[in-house]
Amino acid sequence: MGAYVVLTGHFYGGVMYDIAAEHAPAIGATIVVVVSLWLALGAFSTLARRRVTWALTLVETYRATSGITKLAGILMLVSGVIHLALIASHEGITGGLFVIDGFGFIVLGATAFVTSWWRRPAVLWLLATIVAYVIWIIAGWETPDQIGIACKLIELVALGLVLRLGPQGLPTWPRRLWRAVAFPTLVSVATIGIWIGGLVHPDALHAHAGALLQPVAEVATAEQRERAAHLLADTRASITRYGDPAAAIAAGFKPGPAASAEPLRHFENAANAKIILDPNHPQALVYVQTKHGLQLIGAMYQMPRAGQWGPDPGGPLTQWHQHEGICFSPFGFEFSFETPFWTCPVGSTSVTTPPMLHVWIIDNGKLGPFAADLDKTVQKNLQGS
Amino acid sequence: MSITSPAISANTMASPSSAPEIASVLVVTQASLSLVAGLSAIPFSIVEPGFRLLSLVTILVAIAMFWLARNVRRRKRWARRWVIALEALSLTASLLLMVLPIGAIRGPVPILVNLVMPPSVLWLLLSRPGRAAFRTAGRSDARGAARGCAPAREARRWVIALEASASRRCCC
Repeated sequence: MGAYVVLTGHFYGGVMYDIAAEHAPAIGATIVVVVSLWLALGAFSTLARRRVTWALTLVETYRATSGITKLAGILMLVSGVIHLALIASHEGITGGLFVIDGFGFIVLGATAFVTSWWRRPAVLWLLATIVAYVIWIIAGWETPDQIGIACKLIELVALGLVLRLGPQGLPTWPRRLWRAVAFPTLVSVATIGIWIGGLVHPDALHAHAGALLQPVAEVATAEQRERAAHLLADTRASITRYGDPAAAIAAGFKPGPAASAEPLRHFENAANAKIILDPNHPQALVYVQTKHGLQLIGAMYQMPRAGQWGPDPGGPLTQWHQHEGICFSPFGFEFSFETPFWTCPVGSTSVTTPPMLHVWIIDNGKLGPFAADLDKTVQKNLQGS
Repeated sequence: MSITSPAISANTMASPSSAPEIASVLVVTQASLSLVAGLSAIPFSIVEPGFRLLSLVTILVAIAMFWLARNVRRRKRWARRWVIALEALSLTASLLLMVLPIGAIRGPVPILVNLVMPPSVLWLLLSRPGRAAFRTAGRSDARGAARGCAPAREARRWVIALEASASRRCCC
């Protein structure tokens, strides 16, 4: 539970666990290239059976190629097409490099089937692309989203395959050691590099750590301000009766796990799980541990499913958020960060919570009554009171 | 009619199947990702005591996967069995998590890592060419086993099989 405090700090973010809107065309391009290759192979096989010479040549060439070369070639073709599909959304030097990279991968992917010299250029091309991506991410010139990371995974696997095709050479110890550690080291360094880039350059929708904020307009209208005030007043009027935690428990709210590192405690009511933004039936009550016991400080509304944003009567004032990119361990109710490749330690799992909206019925300082977090100064004062 | 050029022949590996090599590369990639996941949990173990154990277990599992990948590439049949078991377990867990409403698998990266890579390794090792690659290697292993390079039980089995085969040849 202590790491949840770290997760709610203001440094963690990045669109690492989502798909950047401008990168979405790459998904369609990948599906198109894979289906096209499959259909083309089927068509060439049919023509080859009818003794069409050039089709026969192509099919025999394909069949004569080893499985490992075939897969490396196809993965490079896929990466090339992804790069070309993303040219329109990248300007300047990055866009130019995408053109070179895309065509380079397509040429190398195709030559893998017909030449013997492709291996060394492919290693250099793949390595240069992966290293350049990490540099771009750390420098903040590119956003590390799921499409970019998936593309790097494809390139890393392709590189691993191409390296395996290399000449074995003399089995000396340094050579063996290098062959054993080179690829795992590159995968690890690439993962850590992407991660650092995501941490250093959080985007506007990830101001709340480990959480994605609901996209909203920048300025609230007068009507939205009025509705937000109503929501605050209604929530305060409704939950005041639970000032004593025993009353909340009697009403069906169950206290969440307590931890010394986390002074806030959520009392959840499963019976309200499917109700949407009803001040009379909040999904959870939030208490803070003070020197004199638990003090009610707010309510938490939660949507039934992840990715399902709730109604925001106050527009930008009532902005929902969902926690993502976190590893949850049921052993002790603990949290840690997820890697950019969505891997968690054994025994924990990746979790994305349904969107939630906090309503603080106390003065929450400069963050306001609907902030994702309780103001740190306010929290400190409450704990000391 | 064969139109295979020398260049194409150079691309074709001497082994009957590339399945063990491809599977080993995928397992090494998975092991590397697990290693980073294990190492990344170490800072959290300062405030989350449970993650100390999880981190250690993850790093050990990653090291075991590197070792298994190495032995799959060397066409060791026991390594193939262990990798099949681990990948099947991983795939089952991923499918269960996908069913739970916790958003564990959203988007292309978790799909590739959790739902594409494990079945690919399973397919490579369970397919006919994959099985054949290990079967062929198993025979050559037997000679090493007879010299004490493999567990005694395995060695005995292969020695018996080879002797039976030799006696059949002799009597025919």
